[in-house]
Amino acid sequence: MTKQKHLTNELLVRSMDGELIEPEEACVQEHLAHCDECRKKYGEFQHTSIAVHSGLAAIPVASSLGERKNLQQKLEARQAIWQTKQTPERVMRRFGWGMAIAASLALAVVMMPKHKKESNAKQIVQAATTLANAIEAGGETFIPLPYSNPDLPVNASRIVEMQVPVSALSEAGIIVEPVSSRATVSDRSVLADVLMGTDGQPLGVHILE
Amino acid sequence: MERADLLPLPATWDGRYVKDDSRLKLVLEHYDREQLPLRRYVGFLGVDVETAREIVQESFLRLHEHLLEGGDQTHLRGWLYRVAHNLTRNAQLAFRTKKTDRLEDATPTGDLAAADASIEDNLLARERIERFRRAMRELSQAQRECLVLRAQGLKYREIAEALHLSVSTVGENVQRGLERLKELL
Repeated sequence: MTKQKHLTNELLVRSMDGELIEPEEACVQEHLAHCDECRKKYGEFQHTSIAVHSGLAAIPVASSLGERKNLQQKLEARQAIWQTKQTPERVMRRFGWGMAIAASLALAVVMMPKHKKESNAKQIVQAATTLANAIEAGGETFIPLPYSNPDLPVNASRIVEMQVPVSALSEAGIIVEPVSSRATVSDRSVLADVLMGTDGQPLGVHILE
Repeated sequence: MERADLLPLPATWDGRYVKDDSRLKLVLEHYDREQLPLRRYVGFLGVDVETAREIVQESFLRLHEHLLEGGDQTHLRGWLYRVAHNLTRNAQLAFRTKKTDRLEDATPTGDLAAADASIEDNLLARERIERFRRAMRELSQAQRECLVLRAQGLKYREIAEALHLSVSTVGENVQRGLERLKELL
């Protein structure tokens, strides 16, 4: 593409549509600034484009607020049905156990270095062991609590977002603060999603902050 | 190991049920932005106004389902047009809808027909539309569809997604279509 050669229709159209990458666009604009013939062709393409827009604008379309409300009601109803069907078994079927294991390992890798220096080895082993048995539900990975009953049916479980005391998590083997500073943060809590079992007791926890 | 020794009962925690409606809001955002252009495109493909309304609504319901199932969120616009396109074609096959160019029946009731336009202006608008209509019929179906989607503001990548074409084929169809129209208009 030089000043001597004219621009191709392809370049003119793609430039008009903003489909060129920056160096190409700069070359096209530079050429257009000096070439009356290409500028004329570019103008003709623009004129044709406007004709297409105008012609299509003549197609009668109409919508009402009632339609939007109707759609919203249907969406809400479908979402409610979907949420009741979203059991851990379905999640497992969809994403597979491989995903759960990968998520567990990733969580273990993320969390372990954080406590490596200040928590004791026993707690690290306990946390890693816990993560290896992570529960997948509602698209989240839950760290199972030590007293989780593995025989409980989880198809009717639900997820509750709540403030959980840091000290309670520590006692369950889930460290969110360095052990050495636990005394100073005993009154703190963290926002977490808690997977509730059918017995009303928490099965697992997913820390959100 | 007793439960009570490890963690307080959840009843003592400050809990609330989670209601995640982010995907529903995303669908409604797309609806507010895309429903009119989408309806115009579906109308252009040749279904009546009522069928177009149903297809557009079904497209957004499917978008919601797609999001609930954890589908890809990166090219939702192209995805939406593809679903609407396929639904329209299926409806035409299933109900043996007369596959006519919607522009055949188009009257200048849109932007071109402002309420206060004079009769003379209206006639000019009709004449222009009639000329445009004839010209569009001279194009291939792919060229027409690419140009119509482009006129609704879709980028080539989105048009490619909607029509199951490559981006380069879309570019070629747009270019050839405009070249032909330039001669005819």
